[in-house]
Amino acid sequence: MRNLLYLIFRFSAFLAFLVLELICFHLIVNYNKSQGEIWAHSSNLFVGSINARSQKVEDFFELNQKNDSLLLENAKLLETILNFRMTSENNAFQEFEKTLQDSTLDYQLIPANVVSKTIHLRNNYLTLSKGKSDGLKVGMGVLGKNGVIGIIKSLSDNYATVLLILNSQSRTSVKILNKEYHGNLVWESSDPRLMNLKDVPRHANISKGDTIVTSGYSISYPANVHLGTIDAINYVKGSNSYDIDVKLDYDLSNISYAYVVTFQKKEEKETIVELQDE
Amino acid sequence: MNKQVTRNIFRAVFILAIQVILLKRNLTLGEFNYVHLTVYSIIIAMLPYNWNRTLIILLGFVTGLFVDLFYDSIGVHAGATTFIAYVRYYILNWMAPTEGYKKDSLTAYQLGVPWFLTYMSIIIFLHLIFLYSLEAFSFVYLKEIILRTVFSFIASLFLVMFGSLIFNPKY
Repeated sequence: MRNLLYLIFRFSAFLAFLVLELICFHLIVNYNKSQGEIWAHSSNLFVGSINARSQKVEDFFELNQKNDSLLLENAKLLETILNFRMTSENNAFQEFEKTLQDSTLDYQLIPANVVSKTIHLRNNYLTLSKGKSDGLKVGMGVLGKNGVIGIIKSLSDNYATVLLILNSQSRTSVKILNKEYHGNLVWESSDPRLMNLKDVPRHANISKGDTIVTSGYSISYPANVHLGTIDAINYVKGSNSYDIDVKLDYDLSNISYAYVVTFQKKEEKETIVELQDE
Repeated sequence: MNKQVTRNIFRAVFILAIQVILLKRNLTLGEFNYVHLTVYSIIIAMLPYNWNRTLIILLGFVTGLFVDLFYDSIGVHAGATTFIAYVRYYILNWMAPTEGYKKDSLTAYQLGVPWFLTYMSIIIFLHLIFLYSLEAFSFVYLKEIILRTVFSFIASLFLVMFGSLIFNPKY
Protein backbone atom coordinates (compact mmCIF):
# COMPACT_ATOMS: atom_id res chain seq x y z
CA MET A 1 0.00 0.00 0.00
CA ARG A 2 2.77 2.36 0.94
CA ASN A 3 4.60 1.46 -2.21
CA LEU A 4 1.51 2.17 -4.26
CA LEU A 5 1.04 5.57 -2.64
CA TYR A 6 4.68 6.30 -3.22
CA LEU A 7 4.33 5.34 -6.85
CA ILE A 8 1.27 7.56 -7.32
CA PHE A 9 3.05 10.43 -5.63
CA ARG A 10 6.14 10.00 -7.75
CA PHE A 11 4.27 9.92 -11.01
CA SER A 12 1.59 12.43 -10.03
CA ALA A 13 2.71 14.88 -12.71
CA PHE A 14 2.54 12.28 -15.43
CA LEU A 15 -0.81 11.00 -14.19
CA ALA A 16 -2.25 14.51 -14.11
CA PHE A 17 -0.98 15.08 -17.61
CA LEU A 18 -2.49 11.84 -18.86
CA VAL A 19 -5.87 12.36 -17.21
CA LEU A 20 -6.22 15.98 -18.35
CA GLU A 21 -5.12 15.13 -21.88
CA LEU A 22 -7.74 12.37 -22.00
CA ILE A 23 -10.36 14.83 -20.79
CA CYS A 24 -9.32 17.17 -23.61
CA PHE A 25 -9.66 14.44 -26.21
CA HIS A 26 -13.03 13.52 -24.85
CA LEU A 27 -14.13 17.15 -25.04
CA ILE A 28 -12.86 17.59 -28.57
CA VAL A 29 -14.50 14.47 -29.90
CA ASN A 30 -17.80 15.00 -28.10
CA TYR A 31 -17.94 18.61 -29.06
CA ASN A 32 -17.52 17.72 -32.70
CA LYS A 33 -20.33 15.18 -32.52
CA SER A 34 -23.15 16.53 -30.44
CA GLN A 35 -25.08 19.73 -30.81
CA GLY A 36 -26.22 20.33 -27.27
CA GLU A 37 -23.23 21.70 -25.42
CA ILE A 38 -24.40 25.23 -25.04
CA TRP A 39 -22.17 25.84 -22.05
CA ALA A 40 -19.16 25.37 -24.23
CA HIS A 41 -20.09 28.06 -26.70
CA SER A 42 -19.63 31.73 -26.91
CA SER A 43 -23.36 32.16 -26.56
CA ASN A 44 -22.57 31.40 -22.94
CA LEU A 45 -23.62 34.49 -21.04
CA PHE A 46 -20.30 35.55 -19.50
CA VAL A 47 -18.17 35.13 -22.59
CA GLY A 48 -20.91 36.57 -24.77
CA SER A 49 -21.09 39.77 -22.79
CA ILE A 50 -17.31 40.28 -22.88
CA ASN A 51 -17.34 39.72 -26.63
CA ALA A 52 -20.23 42.14 -27.00
CA ARG A 53 -18.39 44.80 -25.01
CA SER A 54 -15.18 44.56 -26.99
CA GLN A 55 -17.22 44.61 -30.18
CA LYS A 56 -18.95 47.78 -29.00
CA VAL A 57 -15.62 49.56 -28.82
CA GLU A 58 -14.73 48.37 -32.29
CA ASP A 59 -18.17 49.36 -33.60
CA PHE A 60 -17.66 52.86 -32.32
CA PHE A 61 -14.67 53.33 -34.58
CA GLU A 62 -16.36 51.75 -37.57
CA LEU A 63 -19.72 53.42 -37.12
CA ASN A 64 -19.44 55.68 -40.16
CA GLN A 65 -18.34 52.88 -42.40
CA LYS A 66 -21.16 50.67 -41.20
CA ASN A 67 -23.65 53.46 -41.75
CA ASP A 68 -22.45 53.99 -45.30
CA SER A 69 -22.69 50.33 -46.16
CA LEU A 70 -26.21 50.13 -44.70
CA LEU A 71 -27.21 53.20 -46.69
CA LEU A 72 -25.86 51.64 -49.86
CA GLU A 73 -27.69 48.41 -49.16
CA ASN A 74 -30.91 50.32 -48.58
CA ALA A 75 -30.51 52.27 -51.79
CA LYS A 76 -29.93 49.07 -53.71
CA LEU A 77 -33.09 47.49 -52.30
CA LEU A 78 -35.16 50.59 -53.01
CA GLU A 79 -33.79 50.64 -56.54
CA THR A 80 -34.81 47.03 -57.06
CA ILE A 81 -38.33 47.67 -55.78
CA LEU A 82 -38.79 50.83 -57.85
CA ASN A 83 -37.64 49.16 -61.05
CA PHE A 84 -39.66 46.06 -60.37
CA ARG A 85 -42.78 48.15 -59.80
CA MET A 86 -42.24 49.91 -63.13
CA THR A 87 -41.65 46.80 -65.19
CA SER A 88 -43.91 44.17 -63.64
CA GLU A 89 -46.66 43.05 -65.97
CA ASN A 90 -50.35 43.57 -65.20
CA ASN A 91 -49.51 45.37 -61.97
CA ALA A 92 -48.47 42.03 -60.47
CA PHE A 93 -46.10 43.72 -58.10
CA GLN A 94 -48.69 46.21 -56.91
CA GLU A 95 -51.03 43.30 -56.22
CA PHE A 96 -48.30 41.61 -54.22
CA GLU A 97 -47.63 44.79 -52.28
CA LYS A 98 -51.30 44.97 -51.34
CA THR A 99 -51.23 41.44 -49.93
CA LEU A 100 -48.18 42.40 -47.88
CA GLN A 101 -50.24 44.78 -45.82
CA ASP A 102 -52.92 42.37 -44.73
CA SER A 103 -51.09 39.08 -44.38
CA THR A 104 -47.91 37.91 -42.73
CA LEU A 105 -45.09 36.78 -44.95
CA ASP A 106 -43.75 33.24 -45.09
CA TYR A 107 -40.20 34.37 -44.55
CA GLN A 108 -39.34 37.12 -42.10
CA LEU A 109 -35.94 38.53 -41.17
CA ILE A 110 -34.68 39.45 -37.72
CA PRO A 111 -31.65 41.78 -37.85
CA ALA A 112 -28.79 41.17 -35.40
CA ASN A 113 -25.30 42.47 -34.72
CA VAL A 114 -22.27 40.22 -35.04
CA VAL A 115 -20.36 40.38 -31.75
CA SER A 116 -17.63 37.86 -32.42
CA LYS A 117 -16.46 35.66 -35.25
CA THR A 118 -13.60 33.56 -36.54
CA ILE A 119 -13.03 32.66 -40.16
CA HIS A 120 -9.47 31.39 -40.13
CA LEU A 121 -9.88 28.17 -38.12
CA ARG A 122 -10.99 24.75 -39.35
CA ASN A 123 -14.31 25.08 -37.55
CA ASN A 124 -15.59 28.61 -37.59
CA TYR A 125 -18.41 30.14 -35.56
CA LEU A 126 -20.00 33.51 -35.20
CA THR A 127 -21.88 35.04 -32.28
CA LEU A 128 -24.98 37.19 -32.72
CA SER A 129 -26.29 39.69 -30.20
CA LYS A 130 -29.77 38.20 -30.19
CA GLY A 131 -31.01 35.04 -28.55
CA LYS A 132 -34.00 33.11 -27.26
CA SER A 133 -35.71 36.23 -25.93
CA ASP A 134 -35.84 37.66 -29.46
CA GLY A 135 -37.57 34.60 -30.87
CA LEU A 136 -34.54 32.88 -32.33
CA LYS A 137 -34.52 29.09 -32.51
CA VAL A 138 -31.86 26.46 -33.13
CA GLY A 139 -31.68 25.54 -36.81
CA MET A 140 -32.72 28.89 -38.24
CA GLY A 141 -30.71 30.13 -41.20
CA VAL A 142 -28.65 33.32 -41.10
CA LEU A 143 -28.19 35.55 -44.14
CA GLY A 144 -25.84 38.44 -44.80
CA LYS A 145 -26.52 41.33 -47.11
CA ASN A 146 -25.11 39.37 -50.06
CA GLY A 147 -25.68 35.74 -49.25
CA VAL A 148 -25.77 32.79 -46.89
CA ILE A 149 -23.79 32.95 -43.61
CA GLY A 150 -24.76 29.86 -41.61
CA ILE A 151 -27.20 28.14 -39.27
CA ILE A 152 -27.90 28.80 -35.57
CA LYS A 153 -26.32 26.05 -33.54
CA SER A 154 -26.97 27.02 -29.94
CA LEU A 155 -28.69 29.75 -27.99
CA SER A 156 -28.69 31.55 -24.69
CA ASP A 157 -31.17 34.24 -23.69
CA ASN A 158 -29.37 37.09 -25.40
CA TYR A 159 -26.77 35.49 -27.66
CA ALA A 160 -26.73 32.95 -30.46
CA THR A 161 -23.86 30.88 -31.85
CA VAL A 162 -23.96 30.42 -35.60
CA LEU A 163 -22.27 27.55 -37.40
CA LEU A 164 -20.68 29.33 -40.34
CA ILE A 165 -20.65 27.73 -43.77
CA LEU A 166 -16.88 27.89 -43.26
CA ASN A 167 -16.97 24.92 -40.90
CA SER A 168 -16.11 21.29 -41.53
CA GLN A 169 -19.51 20.32 -40.08
CA SER A 170 -21.48 22.61 -42.32
CA ARG A 171 -23.53 21.18 -45.21
CA THR A 172 -25.72 23.41 -47.31
CA SER A 173 -28.21 22.16 -49.88
CA VAL A 174 -27.70 24.15 -53.08
CA LYS A 175 -28.57 24.03 -56.76
CA ILE A 176 -27.15 25.37 -59.97
CA LEU A 177 -29.29 28.26 -61.17
CA ASN A 178 -31.43 27.55 -64.28
CA LYS A 179 -30.13 23.98 -64.50
CA GLU A 180 -31.86 22.52 -61.44
CA TYR A 181 -29.07 20.10 -60.58
CA HIS A 182 -28.64 20.05 -56.86
CA GLY A 183 -25.81 19.16 -54.53
CA ASN A 184 -24.28 19.81 -51.14
CA LEU A 185 -21.91 22.65 -50.40
CA VAL A 186 -19.13 21.85 -47.89
CA TRP A 187 -15.90 23.54 -46.85
CA GLU A 188 -12.72 21.54 -47.28
CA SER A 189 -10.22 24.21 -48.24
CA SER A 190 -8.58 26.66 -45.85
CA ASP A 191 -9.49 29.59 -48.05
CA PRO A 192 -12.52 31.49 -46.69
CA ARG A 193 -13.65 32.34 -50.22
CA LEU A 194 -13.52 28.83 -51.68
CA MET A 195 -16.18 26.16 -51.07
CA ASN A 196 -16.60 22.63 -52.43
CA LEU A 197 -19.75 21.42 -54.14
CA LYS A 198 -20.41 17.67 -53.87
CA ASP A 199 -22.98 15.18 -55.17
CA VAL A 200 -23.65 16.82 -58.54
CA PRO A 201 -24.05 13.86 -60.95
CA ARG A 202 -21.49 13.35 -63.71
CA HIS A 203 -24.06 13.61 -66.52
CA ALA A 204 -24.98 17.15 -65.45
CA ASN A 205 -24.26 19.72 -68.12
CA ILE A 206 -22.47 22.40 -66.11
CA SER A 207 -19.79 24.90 -66.97
CA LYS A 208 -17.41 27.29 -65.29
CA GLY A 209 -19.11 30.51 -64.22
CA ASP A 210 -22.52 28.99 -63.44
CA THR A 211 -24.28 30.58 -60.49
CA ILE A 212 -24.86 28.61 -57.28
CA VAL A 213 -27.96 29.39 -55.19
CA THR A 214 -29.69 27.71 -52.25
CA SER A 215 -32.10 24.93 -53.21
CA GLY A 216 -34.84 25.72 -50.73
CA TYR A 217 -35.07 22.03 -49.81
CA SER A 218 -33.98 22.71 -46.27
CA ILE A 219 -36.13 24.61 -43.80
CA SER A 220 -33.31 26.97 -42.89
CA TYR A 221 -32.97 29.04 -46.03
CA PRO A 222 -35.45 30.26 -48.63
CA ALA A 223 -34.78 29.17 -52.21
CA ASN A 224 -32.59 31.08 -54.66
CA VAL A 225 -30.37 32.92 -52.19
CA HIS A 226 -27.16 33.80 -53.96
CA LEU A 227 -23.89 32.07 -52.95
CA GLY A 228 -21.23 32.16 -55.64
CA THR A 229 -20.05 30.88 -58.99
CA ILE A 230 -18.33 27.73 -60.22
CA ASP A 231 -14.60 28.28 -60.25
CA ALA A 232 -13.25 24.89 -61.34
CA ILE A 233 -14.70 21.47 -62.13
CA ASN A 234 -12.64 18.49 -60.96
CA TYR A 235 -13.21 14.86 -61.87
CA VAL A 236 -12.78 12.26 -59.16
CA LYS A 237 -11.69 8.89 -60.46
CA GLY A 238 -14.29 6.17 -59.93
CA SER A 239 -16.90 8.56 -58.60
CA ASN A 240 -20.31 9.27 -60.07
CA SER A 241 -20.25 12.91 -59.12
CA TYR A 242 -18.15 15.98 -59.72
CA ASP A 243 -15.99 17.73 -57.18
CA ILE A 244 -16.63 21.39 -57.92
CA ASP A 245 -14.81 24.43 -56.52
CA VAL A 246 -17.19 27.28 -55.81
CA LYS A 247 -15.96 30.82 -55.34
CA LEU A 248 -18.10 32.83 -52.93
CA ASP A 249 -19.05 36.26 -54.25
CA TYR A 250 -19.06 37.87 -50.85
CA ASP A 251 -16.47 38.24 -48.13
CA LEU A 252 -17.35 36.60 -44.81
CA SER A 253 -14.46 38.28 -43.04
CA ASN A 254 -16.04 41.73 -42.84
CA ILE A 255 -19.65 41.04 -41.89
CA SER A 256 -20.78 43.14 -38.94
CA TYR A 257 -24.52 42.45 -39.04
CA ALA A 258 -26.72 39.62 -40.21
CA TYR A 259 -30.36 38.65 -40.71
CA VAL A 260 -31.91 35.59 -39.11
CA VAL A 261 -34.53 33.90 -41.29
CA THR A 262 -37.75 32.80 -39.62
CA PHE A 263 -39.98 30.55 -41.67
CA GLN A 264 -43.67 30.67 -40.70
CA LYS A 265 -44.59 27.31 -42.21
CA LYS A 266 -41.63 25.52 -40.66
CA GLU A 267 -43.63 22.93 -38.68
CA GLU A 268 -45.75 22.14 -41.69
CA LYS A 269 -42.74 21.48 -43.90
CA GLU A 270 -41.01 19.49 -41.17
CA THR A 271 -43.92 17.09 -40.75
CA ILE A 272 -44.16 16.44 -44.46
CA VAL A 273 -40.43 15.74 -44.66
CA GLU A 274 -40.71 13.35 -41.72
CA LEU A 275 -43.61 11.52 -43.42
CA GLN A 276 -41.43 11.11 -46.48
CA ASP A 277 -38.68 9.49 -44.45
CA GLU A 278 -40.91 6.83 -42.93
CA MET B 1 7.53 34.82 -2.60
CA ASN B 2 4.21 36.56 -2.29
CA LYS B 3 5.27 39.09 -4.88
CA GLN B 4 6.06 36.25 -7.26
CA VAL B 5 2.51 34.90 -6.97
CA THR B 6 0.83 38.26 -7.51
CA ARG B 7 3.10 39.05 -10.46
CA ASN B 8 2.23 35.74 -12.10
CA ILE B 9 -1.48 36.26 -11.60
CA PHE B 10 -1.26 39.77 -12.99
CA ARG B 11 0.72 38.57 -15.99
CA ALA B 12 -1.76 35.77 -16.68
CA VAL B 13 -4.77 38.10 -16.59
CA PHE B 14 -3.04 40.67 -18.78
CA ILE B 15 -1.87 38.24 -21.45
CA LEU B 16 -5.16 36.33 -21.52
CA ALA B 17 -7.10 39.56 -21.98
CA ILE B 18 -4.85 40.55 -24.88
CA GLN B 19 -5.14 37.08 -26.40
CA VAL B 20 -8.92 36.74 -26.34
CA ILE B 21 -9.83 40.35 -27.06
CA LEU B 22 -7.13 41.64 -29.41
CA LEU B 23 -5.18 38.77 -30.94
CA LYS B 24 -8.31 36.74 -31.67
CA ARG B 25 -9.33 39.40 -34.17
CA ASN B 26 -6.85 38.12 -36.60
CA LEU B 27 -4.94 39.82 -39.30
CA THR B 28 -6.04 37.97 -42.40
CA LEU B 29 -4.00 39.03 -45.37
CA GLY B 30 -6.46 38.16 -48.12
CA GLU B 31 -6.20 34.49 -48.98
CA PHE B 32 -3.11 34.03 -46.86
CA ASN B 33 -4.45 33.16 -43.44
CA TYR B 34 -1.73 31.20 -41.78
CA VAL B 35 -0.66 33.82 -39.26
CA HIS B 36 -2.39 33.42 -35.91
CA LEU B 37 -0.81 35.23 -33.00
CA THR B 38 -0.92 32.77 -30.12
CA VAL B 39 1.23 33.92 -27.23
CA TYR B 40 -0.60 32.90 -24.08
CA SER B 41 1.57 29.78 -23.69
CA ILE B 42 4.24 32.02 -22.14
CA ILE B 43 2.02 32.35 -19.06
CA ILE B 44 2.70 28.69 -18.33
CA ALA B 45 6.29 28.90 -19.52
CA MET B 46 7.11 31.74 -17.10
CA LEU B 47 5.65 30.21 -13.93
CA PRO B 48 8.35 29.90 -11.25
CA TYR B 49 10.74 26.96 -11.54
CA ASN B 50 10.18 25.53 -8.09
CA TRP B 51 6.40 25.21 -8.27
CA ASN B 52 4.81 21.79 -8.04
CA ARG B 53 4.69 20.04 -11.42
CA THR B 54 1.16 18.75 -10.97
CA LEU B 55 -0.04 22.23 -10.05
CA ILE B 56 1.54 23.66 -13.21
CA ILE B 57 -0.15 21.02 -15.35
CA LEU B 58 -3.50 21.84 -13.76
CA LEU B 59 -2.93 25.55 -14.33
CA GLY B 60 -2.08 24.80 -17.96
CA PHE B 61 -5.36 22.93 -18.39
CA VAL B 62 -7.40 25.74 -16.84
CA THR B 63 -5.66 28.42 -18.93
CA GLY B 64 -6.24 26.49 -22.13
CA LEU B 65 -9.87 25.87 -21.28
CA PHE B 66 -10.40 29.59 -20.67
CA VAL B 67 -8.97 30.43 -24.10
CA ASP B 68 -11.10 27.66 -25.62
CA LEU B 69 -14.28 29.35 -24.41
CA PHE B 70 -13.44 32.36 -26.54
CA TYR B 71 -12.24 30.42 -29.57
CA ASP B 72 -15.29 28.10 -29.59
CA SER B 73 -12.96 25.12 -29.68
CA ILE B 74 -13.50 23.30 -26.38
CA GLY B 75 -10.58 20.98 -25.63
CA VAL B 76 -8.17 22.05 -28.36
CA HIS B 77 -6.29 24.83 -26.58
CA ALA B 78 -6.64 23.02 -23.26
CA GLY B 79 -4.94 19.94 -24.72
CA ALA B 80 -2.06 21.91 -26.20
CA THR B 81 -1.46 23.98 -23.06
CA THR B 82 -1.57 20.90 -20.82
CA PHE B 83 1.05 19.35 -23.06
CA ILE B 84 3.28 22.43 -22.71
CA ALA B 85 2.88 22.42 -18.94
CA TYR B 86 3.99 18.79 -18.90
CA VAL B 87 7.06 19.02 -21.14
CA ARG B 88 8.20 22.31 -19.56
CA TYR B 89 9.94 20.38 -16.78
CA TYR B 90 12.08 18.39 -19.23
CA ILE B 91 12.96 21.42 -21.32
CA LEU B 92 14.01 23.34 -18.21
CA ASN B 93 16.16 20.46 -16.98
CA TRP B 94 17.74 20.13 -20.38
CA MET B 95 18.42 23.86 -20.62
CA ALA B 96 19.58 24.33 -17.03
CA PRO B 97 22.52 26.71 -16.68
CA THR B 98 25.67 25.09 -15.22
CA GLU B 99 25.17 26.78 -11.87
CA GLY B 100 21.46 25.87 -11.80
CA TYR B 101 18.46 28.19 -11.49
CA LYS B 102 19.53 30.58 -8.74
CA LYS B 103 16.37 32.64 -8.68
CA ASP B 104 13.18 30.71 -9.37
CA SER B 105 11.78 33.23 -11.83
CA LEU B 106 12.23 32.32 -15.48
CA THR B 107 12.58 35.77 -17.00
CA ALA B 108 14.97 37.39 -19.46
CA TYR B 109 16.07 39.68 -16.61
CA GLN B 110 17.27 36.78 -14.46
CA LEU B 111 18.60 34.37 -17.08
CA GLY B 112 19.64 36.55 -20.00
CA VAL B 113 17.97 37.32 -23.31
CA PRO B 114 19.56 34.49 -25.40
CA TRP B 115 18.51 31.81 -22.90
CA PHE B 116 15.01 33.28 -22.65
CA LEU B 117 14.50 33.43 -26.41
CA THR B 118 15.66 29.85 -26.95
CA TYR B 119 13.34 28.66 -24.19
CA MET B 120 10.38 30.65 -25.50
CA SER B 121 10.87 29.53 -29.09
CA ILE B 122 10.88 25.87 -28.02
CA ILE B 123 7.74 26.33 -25.91
CA ILE B 124 5.83 28.34 -28.52
CA PHE B 125 6.78 25.98 -31.34
CA LEU B 126 5.70 22.87 -29.44
CA HIS B 127 2.51 24.58 -28.33
CA LEU B 128 1.56 25.64 -31.85
CA ILE B 129 2.29 22.33 -33.54
CA PHE B 130 0.32 20.45 -30.89
CA LEU B 131 -2.48 22.99 -31.14
CA TYR B 132 -2.91 22.78 -34.89
CA SER B 133 -2.59 19.02 -34.92
CA LEU B 134 -5.40 18.79 -32.37
CA GLU B 135 -7.48 21.30 -34.28
CA ALA B 136 -7.22 19.40 -37.55
CA PHE B 137 -7.48 16.09 -35.62
CA SER B 138 -5.95 14.14 -38.47
CA PHE B 139 -2.73 14.24 -40.41
CA VAL B 140 -4.57 14.59 -43.70
CA TYR B 141 -4.03 18.33 -43.33
CA LEU B 142 -0.31 17.96 -42.69
CA LYS B 143 0.70 20.71 -45.10
CA GLU B 144 -1.75 23.11 -43.53
CA ILE B 145 -0.61 22.25 -40.01
CA ILE B 146 3.00 22.90 -40.91
CA LEU B 147 2.31 26.17 -42.72
CA ARG B 148 0.18 27.46 -39.86
CA THR B 149 2.74 26.43 -37.27
CA VAL B 150 5.70 28.00 -39.06
CA PHE B 151 4.11 31.37 -39.86
CA SER B 152 2.30 31.70 -36.53
CA PHE B 153 5.50 30.74 -34.74
CA ILE B 154 7.54 33.50 -36.36
CA ALA B 155 4.89 36.17 -35.71
CA SER B 156 4.18 35.05 -32.12
CA LEU B 157 7.87 34.88 -31.23
CA PHE B 158 8.37 38.44 -32.47
CA LEU B 159 5.49 39.60 -30.31
CA VAL B 160 6.85 37.80 -27.24
CA MET B 161 10.29 39.29 -27.88
CA PHE B 162 8.83 42.79 -28.10
CA GLY B 163 6.76 42.26 -24.97
CA SER B 164 9.63 40.98 -22.89
CA LEU B 165 11.94 43.76 -24.10
CA ILE B 166 9.39 46.44 -23.26
CA PHE B 167 8.28 45.13 -19.85
CA ASN B 168 11.42 43.22 -18.92
CA PRO B 169 9.90 41.82 -15.70
CA LYS B 170 12.10 40.87 -12.77
CA TYR B 171 9.83 38.06 -11.56
